[in-house]
Amino acid sequence: MSASQSAVRSRAEAVQVSRTLDWMILFTLFTVVLGGYHIHYMLTGGDWDFWTDWKDRRLWVTVAPIVSITFPAAVQACLWFRYRLPFGAVVCVLALMLGEWINRYLNFWGWTYFPVNFCFPSNLVPGAILLDVVLMLSSSFVLTAVVGGMAWGLVFYPGNWPIIAPLHVPVEYNGMMFTLADLQGYHYVRTGTPEYIRMVEKGTLRTFGKDVAPVSAFFSAFVCIIIYFLWHYFGRWFAKTDFIDGEGM
Amino acid sequence: MAATTDSVKADVSEAPLLNKVNLFAGLTLYLVFYSFIRWYEGVYGWSAGLDSFAPEFETYWMNMLYIELVAEVVIACGLWGYIWKTRDRKVMSITPREELRRHMTHWTWLCMYGWAVYWGASYFTEQDGTWHQTIVRDTDFTPSHIIEFYLAYPIYIITGVSSFLYAKTRLPAYSEGLSLMYMISVLGPFMILPNVGLNEWGHTFWFMEELFVAPLHYGFVFFGWATLAVMGVVNTEVNALTKLLKKDLA
Repeated sequence: MSASQSAVRSRAEAVQVSRTLDWMILFTLFTVVLGGYHIHYMLTGGDWDFWTDWKDRRLWVTVAPIVSITFPAAVQACLWFRYRLPFGAVVCVLALMLGEWINRYLNFWGWTYFPVNFCFPSNLVPGAILLDVVLMLSSSFVLTAVVGGMAWGLVFYPGNWPIIAPLHVPVEYNGMMFTLADLQGYHYVRTGTPEYIRMVEKGTLRTFGKDVAPVSAFFSAFVCIIIYFLWHYFGRWFAKTDFIDGEGM
Repeated sequence: MAATTDSVKADVSEAPLLNKVNLFAGLTLYLVFYSFIRWYEGVYGWSAGLDSFAPEFETYWMNMLYIELVAEVVIACGLWGYIWKTRDRKVMSITPREELRRHMTHWTWLCMYGWAVYWGASYFTEQDGTWHQTIVRDTDFTPSHIIEFYLAYPIYIITGVSSFLYAKTRLPAYSEGLSLMYMISVLGPFMILPNVGLNEWGHTFWFMEELFVAPLHYGFVFFGWATLAVMGVVNTEVNALTKLLKKDLA
């Protein structure tokens, strides 16, 4: 081919092709990341995300942010540091939450009849906005890991508070004190529940543990910082354009 | 004036850079097909999918599995064979415009791959969680597994490998060597399918209950990470497209 030849007829056509490709790239990135992020999240934090009776003040607050900061950190490493696009975390979270909401409505409710107010997904949007804003303002992945990663962990529970608070009010049932979320779980028995008919917040947590959620969030934020670093480097590696010799394969 | 008219005629007669009909028809095909599958699950999951020893289970579910497996092998062999058989043996001598046209077709394949990955890894995988936390399984081949593992996963594998083969056989950017991230983005999600072996073996120990965060499932997680390699594919493509369009966009 000749280097002097042009692939397009005019500048207008070049612009049009470029815009079309932008949409096709975004669609592919969105759907592939959705698939990968969703399978990762549902199998590392899924049960806490599926059911309100798992959304407690300790393990949900700890586990969900730690396992969910992974893909946003990796995608930021490509989109910001290569293209200066400041929406890596938000696009990941929007993709994940779209996939989750479609599933909870059409399958959890539509196929197996769990009410949506029992199986709605956790809200990750506030943390994603903070993560992207910190990266955009600082242009530093170290600062994003420390400040943004910590914010991701800390903001998770407050970000879900308005949604989960009505289900954490106490009720008395057969002489036991439950939360409404516990009561939902009690009535909607699942195959995984026999060994998990449990009150997470029992014993010392209910007498001694009024600070459980903030402590859990703080611990989660600490781990999120480390996970962000790790997955930033995963993201850099996955963004490589290397070719290998096909000989012997 | 005459020259301009000829030029316009030539533009009209040549194939468009992007065949939008193919793109939207492909996406719609998957949407309609999977909508039908979801309807089938809704009707025959409850009425014929609860007891694997029942005759109706054989009729509605095992027969579906057998049809799927045969159809997938035939389609994979036919599609991959066609793409390979019709490969361009002089790929380095194509015009820039033809190269751009092929990149657009390649992106149609990648959009299809993304769409197929969504249905397999997101929609039908999480759906499996709610089905198995609702019914007590008595077989490895449950209604949700027959759709998830043996239909939705093979479809994205077939689509992904087709996309890879198209790039490898028709685009100069991929003609020398193998794109590492392209291979990972296709082979990683592919490995989720063999990992079903581990999953089913493990579930023979924990047959009754379903916990999605059980370590038994971490194989799926590990191979799911490979989807991130799509970023490497995007970057490779952007490099190639920049060479084609940069001077016209300047």
